[in-house]
Amino acid sequence: MDQETVRTICYLARLEIDQNKSEKIQKDLETIIELIGSLQSIDTSDIEPLYNPLEMTAFKHEDLVISDNKKNKFLKNAAESNEDYFLVPRVVE
Amino acid sequence: MSIQFKSITELNELLDNKAISVSELTQESIQLAKKYDELNCFVTLNEENSSKKASSIDRDKKNTSLLSGIPLAQKDLFCTKGLRTTCSSKILSNFIPPYSATVVEKLEDAGSITIGKTNMDEFAMGSSNETSFFGSVHNPWKKGFVPGGSSGGSAAAVAAGIVPAATGTDTGGSIRQPAAHCGITGLKPTYGRISRWGMIAFASSLDQAGPLARSAEDCAILLNSMSGYDSKDTTSLNSDVPNFLENINQSIKGKKIGIIKEFDLSGLDTEVQKRFDESKKAYENLGAEFIEVSLPNISASVPTYYSIAPAECSSNLSRYDGVRFGHRAENTDDLNDLYIKSRSEGFGDEVKRRILIGTYALSSGYYDAYYKKAQQVRRLIKNDFDQVFKSIDLLMTPTSPNSAFKFESKGTQNPVELYLEDLFTISSNLAGLPAISIPHGQVHSLPVGLQLIGNFLREDLLLNAAHVFQQNSDFHNAKPNLENFK
Amino acid sequence: MSWETVIGLETHVQLSTKTKLFSRASTAFGASPNTNVNLIDCGLPGVLPSVNKEAFYKAIRFGMAIGAHINQTSIFDRKNYFYADLPKGYQITQMDLPIVLGGSIEILTDDSTKTINITRAHLEEDAGKSIHDEFDGFSAIDLNRAGTPLLEIVSEPEISSAKEAVAYMKAMHQLVTYLDVSDGNMAQGSLRCDANVSIRKRGDSELGIRTEIKNINSFKFIEKAINFEIKRQIKVLESGKKVTQETRLYDSAKDETRPMRSKEFANDYRYFPEPDLLPVVISDDEMQKIKDEFPELPTEKEIRYQKEYGLSSYDAQIIASSKSMADFFESSLSGVKNYSLLANWLIGEISAYLNKELIEIHESKLNPENIAMLINRIDDQTISGKIGKSIFEEMCIYGSSPDQIIESKGLKQITDDDSIEKVVDEVIRNNSEQVQGYKSGKEKLFGFFVGQVMKKTQGKANPQTVNKILKEKLKK
Ligand SMILES: [Mg+2]
Ligand SMILES: [Zn+2]
Repeated sequence: MDQETVRTICYLARLEIDQNKSEKIQKDLETIIELIGSLQSIDTSDIEPLYNPLEMTAFKHEDLVISDNKKNKFLKNAAESNEDYFLVPRVVE
Repeated sequence: MSIQFKSITELNELLDNKAISVSELTQESIQLAKKYDELNCFVTLNEENSSKKASSIDRDKKNTSLLSGIPLAQKDLFCTKGLRTTCSSKILSNFIPPYSATVVEKLEDAGSITIGKTNMDEFAMGSSNETSFFGSVHNPWKKGFVPGGSSGGSAAAVAAGIVPAATGTDTGGSIRQPAAHCGITGLKPTYGRISRWGMIAFASSLDQAGPLARSAEDCAILLNSMSGYDSKDTTSLNSDVPNFLENINQSIKGKKIGIIKEFDLSGLDTEVQKRFDESKKAYENLGAEFIEVSLPNISASVPTYYSIAPAECSSNLSRYDGVRFGHRAENTDDLNDLYIKSRSEGFGDEVKRRILIGTYALSSGYYDAYYKKAQQVRRLIKNDFDQVFKSIDLLMTPTSPNSAFKFESKGTQNPVELYLEDLFTISSNLAGLPAISIPHGQVHSLPVGLQLIGNFLREDLLLNAAHVFQQNSDFHNAKPNLENFK
Repeated sequence: MSWETVIGLETHVQLSTKTKLFSRASTAFGASPNTNVNLIDCGLPGVLPSVNKEAFYKAIRFGMAIGAHINQTSIFDRKNYFYADLPKGYQITQMDLPIVLGGSIEILTDDSTKTINITRAHLEEDAGKSIHDEFDGFSAIDLNRAGTPLLEIVSEPEISSAKEAVAYMKAMHQLVTYLDVSDGNMAQGSLRCDANVSIRKRGDSELGIRTEIKNINSFKFIEKAINFEIKRQIKVLESGKKVTQETRLYDSAKDETRPMRSKEFANDYRYFPEPDLLPVVISDDEMQKIKDEFPELPTEKEIRYQKEYGLSSYDAQIIASSKSMADFFESSLSGVKNYSLLANWLIGEISAYLNKELIEIHESKLNPENIAMLINRIDDQTISGKIGKSIFEEMCIYGSSPDQIIESKGLKQITDDDSIEKVVDEVIRNNSEQVQGYKSGKEKLFGFFVGQVMKKTQGKANPQTVNKILKEKLKK
């Protein structure tokens, strides 16, 4: 895992790493990647992935509205909001 | 009268005989939490609401359920309406949920009283409770030693006798391992047995809530209330929930217990091996039969888990972006800067590490090699379990390769060192199977746990086997000396 | 040099369900900001999605209508990216196993038809809305729309002009409204598209580098945006440069496309199966139920209108082409005897009015009962067609019933011979000069007499009776 890759995944994850920790973190990531890379030696051809231990199918909800307006509580939990909206720094498209 | 270390059944008797009121009981439990503040079990105490609810139960005299009036602690990743829920993370340090988790609702509906929210590894990522934004939890058995993780606060609070039981969550061992390190009983139920609604997600396909208590019997009491289908969690199981107390006393004579060939215990501490052999004997005396079984892919559990869990977590934790709730960084240039600074300030190192690993494992070009591959191996592991459960009733392993260790002694140089702590517990999460850890003695004056793994939905058998063991031994009654924490 | 345009469209159709795709909050348009938002839509910690049955049924109905394969087991995936109006940091969509695969749509191009193949159609949730220009220094987030079910329909790159793209979108609009899958309201964003446009030398087999124009939401803008983009790309290519693969926005005020400013240096969505949702399975019984309840499509209606109501093929086609027109026609039918007269009015007067006002019939004050009454009054000669038109104008404005208007204004047609004879006699008496002229052979003057009679009766006299009596009287 090179520095460029670390930079890319940091950006994708919207995280930045302290300058003084970056070497350690890069090393940690390499160790972990090495650990999970050990799976390569297992033959999994024709094996369906098991994405969930419950091999069931989804329940589907009826198309009936349950009103549950918690606008004020939601907006109160936000770091910045006005009486109607969540606010973020202005986005220029 | 001290209520410390009393079981739910004992407390019920006291309440029934009017030896103590619910208000007194609640008050004492909160006093104990305060007295052992140094353990750092609690992130938030729920003092005011607890005493309100206690006096209303005293007034109404409706003592119908076994949990009525019983003080409990909730792991701080269950949302509690109006009560701060942090996941022991800076990023949620100011979060007040507008709703309660189904688990909390069910336990409270049964009459229990939530006295507080327990400390944990940040977002349940860790095996030592050292990743909490609110600081490490001490093991009640030894100051400066970890209680295990991630449900470390819950385990320590029960072990210190502050509450008779607490909730936890288990993604790779997070109930069982701290239960083992703290000398109490912890059950991870079948995936889907308990609703995940309101339980803050770490890895969706692995997370499962469960009880921690001083005995299997008390775990059964909690499990009775916690279980059941919930239409809000479409991954919860729509199947009958038995009364887990009903057959808990049954003899286990003739039950076949599997010992996993691939788990070579000879490399472990000789004391750990000794405890294991002694427990094996104890079970033989109870009439169980031991069979060596092979789970050829089980050694791949740790790498499989550390590919799947971080991948799911990297996505589950994207919602912590500083926009709608949680920590938001100040003085940011633009939206991207806001995301990066809020998240970087809000998450601790281990959480960041796992998000990065997961992001990497899912990124284009690596998905097939890491994430998909791991889910394929996961099926192989599950197939192995399906195979062995055709001929046996339970599997038995140590819960953890070691007893509790000193703060900052593991994983600081190499995180994988700590990941290997979960060697015995992880595979049941991958396969969705229930498993329990019960105390079975001590190693170097710290408790160690014995793990039993059951087949799909066989919590009844696990609790039964654990209970008869506890009926015939005294390990679960051992109490730590808390002198050092006053 | 001769250039060829290749266009593929990704159409987002907002499904007309009552609740969201993964929650039971309302999808109603126009609610006050952030009020149709529940715990799930807000992406709070600890919440879990559940899937909307009706959204699946609507998607399947669409798939059946275009002759596609329906995946009775389909899977949701997460598409991970950060944006202010995307509450969870990922969109739940379908990647590997979409509900609809293949199929095709017929479009009308200059009097001929062309088949556009559909690659796939999948269910996904909409994002919220960002408002960028109303608050100083801030963008404001409204999550009402977050989680609204969308069907994203991806066409093969088989569209070769802006005109064809418009025809495709019109066909899509007709289809989704007909199927009652969507209200098709483009102004409210219920139907919008991304256009992938590329240019290549005529005869080349390889596709050129494409750009994607995002979120176009009117037929007019689709045509303008694509035409602008075609011209721009040709200019780039003719100057010997290469087209940059990028996402562009259409600015209708300037009538141009321009690259989106928010550029990401790495766009890696890290799709993976949504672990909070198990595979969604549609049973054979459910499939049968959807088939049984399948709505009638335009061509079927066209044939039935001709057979059952004796409409001309021209009338039948025009009425059947619009779902709202066909619905109106069908609900007016029960009270009407003269179906062709009803059809004539729908195609003539009523359509003209709607076109002028730029509204759909259900948005007007007209209702089937009143139109049926109007048609009947003309048909049974209570009023003349001309009076009918003036009554119609009033109906459009006030929504009043024709009988009310006829009553209050005394517009009832005069049909009895005696009353008309009186007026005819008076006209003949007062216009002896013209009577002379007519009798001496100026037969064109007949119209003058009719006009005079109608004027005196305020148009209420039955024209046939007037003609008959006038002819008799003028012979004498
Ligand atoms: Mg698209
Ligand atoms: Zn889309």
